[in-house]
This record gives sequence, C-alpha cells and structure tokens, in this order.
Amino acid sequence: MRHAIFIPLLGVVVGLAAHFAYFRLNEPAATDSLDGQLAWMKTELQLTDLQYARIKELHQASSPRLRAMAVQVAQLQAEFAEFEKIRRTSDRVDFLEFARFVETRRLISRECIDSTRQLVQAAAGIMTEPQRRRYIQLVAAAEPHAESLLN
Amino acid sequence: MNPPPDPLDHLLNRWSETPEPPGRLTQEVWQRIALAEGAAAKPLRWGTVVEAWFARPPFAVMFVATCAVIGLFLAEVRVNHLQRERNEQLARSYLQLIDPLLTVQQETSRP
Repeated sequence: MRHAIFIPLLGVVVGLAAHFAYFRLNEPAATDSLDGQLAWMKTELQLTDLQYARIKELHQASSPRLRAMAVQVAQLQAEFAEFEKIRRTSDRVDFLEFARFVETRRLISRECIDSTRQLVQAAAGIMTEPQRRRYIQLVAAAEPHAESLLN
Repeated sequence: MNPPPDPLDHLLNRWSETPEPPGRLTQEVWQRIALAEGAAAKPLRWGTVVEAWFARPPFAVMFVATCAVIGLFLAEVRVNHLQRERNEQLARSYLQLIDPLLTVQQETSRP
C-alpha cells in the first residue's frame, strides 16, 4: 500500500505547489493612484512609451482642475442637503435660492461632463484605432454611459 | 539388413510392467484443477489493483505530472478571474478619477 498512498500525496503536493507558485508570479497588483492606473492602461492598451508619456501629461495637467471641480460638486451637494433639511424642518422654501442652486448645479455638471469628455477625447486622440476601441470598451465596462463621452 | 541394437530397447522392455495408479488419482487431479481455476477466477482486491498501478514508475510519473498540470490550469483560471475583476475595478477608479461627478457620487455612497 506504500505506493498507493505516497504517489497521490506527492501529486497533491506538486499540484498545490505549482498552483500557488504560478498564482503568486502572475497575481495582478492592486493600485489606486493615478500613476498606477496609467501604468495599468499602458499594459492593457499596449501604449508605446511616447503615447504613455503624452497621456500621462494630459491626465496630470487636468487632474488639479478635475479635483477642484469635484470639491465644487461636493460643496453643492452639501448645500443641497442643508437646503433640504431647512425645507423639511421649517416647511419653508426659498424659491429664488433654490432656482439659483439648480442653475449652479446644472452649470457645474455641464462643466464636469465637458472636462471629462475633453480629457477622454484628447487621450483617445493619442491612441491608434484598436487602442481607442479598447479604451472606450474598458471605460464603458465600468460606466455604461462612457461611450457617450466620445460622441 | 537389421539395425544395430539400441540400449534403450532393453530399458523399455523392463518398463513394460507399470504399476496400477492409486484409486483416488482421477479425483485428486480434478480437485487440483478446480482449486487452480478457483484461485485464478477470484477477484483482486481494489487496494491491490491501485497499489499495482502506482507501483509502475511511468504511471506514477504521469499521475504527478497530471496533478501539476491541473494545479497550473486552476491557477490560470484564478488569475484570469482576478485580472478581470481588477480591470473592472481599475476602469471604475480611472473613470472616477477623470469624472468629478462620479468622484463625489462614490464618496457620498461610501459608508
């Protein structure tokens, strides 16, 4: 019975070792920074060094503006929450204030969409046709409305 | 012309008086045949069969190699699955990074 125990055991050990060694070597790394995401894009879209450098430059240039806009949107949301709170507690609505708020929000939303669209279009413009298709496909996988950004 | 006398003829002439076989000879012969056939037809034990297979070096090597290939295949499936998940997550993070509306949406939806 020696072989019937030893060989299957050896098989299991070898199988597990191969599995974990291969998995460890090929495990995709998690990243949340802009650099990490751009590096992922470089691999995923097979960008050349020149394309990567230009795309990185584009993203770095627009990043402060986009962040500032995100802050503005967050402020507007906080204002809206406050506005809602007052309306619920005092049952009083300042229509002029509300109209101003809605208009500001509309403008900022428009500005955000335009900025994102410009950035996506500029990045896509640096890519070749297959890269561009893959880029939109990747972005669309996360956000179904992303395709409209290029229209 | 007569052939020369063979020394074997003399011996064969002496052997003409053969003794009578014992009375139970036929019965014993059949009994032994039955025993031998019974032993051959008896099914082998499962453990013995497995042991016999694993004792063969080519089979043992093939078995271990198959285990390694299965391990690698499952690892590849796992890597692909993880890669797909990471790609979706990275695409989502990327979109949040370039879309301020999504950034805020994500931050407010965080517990």
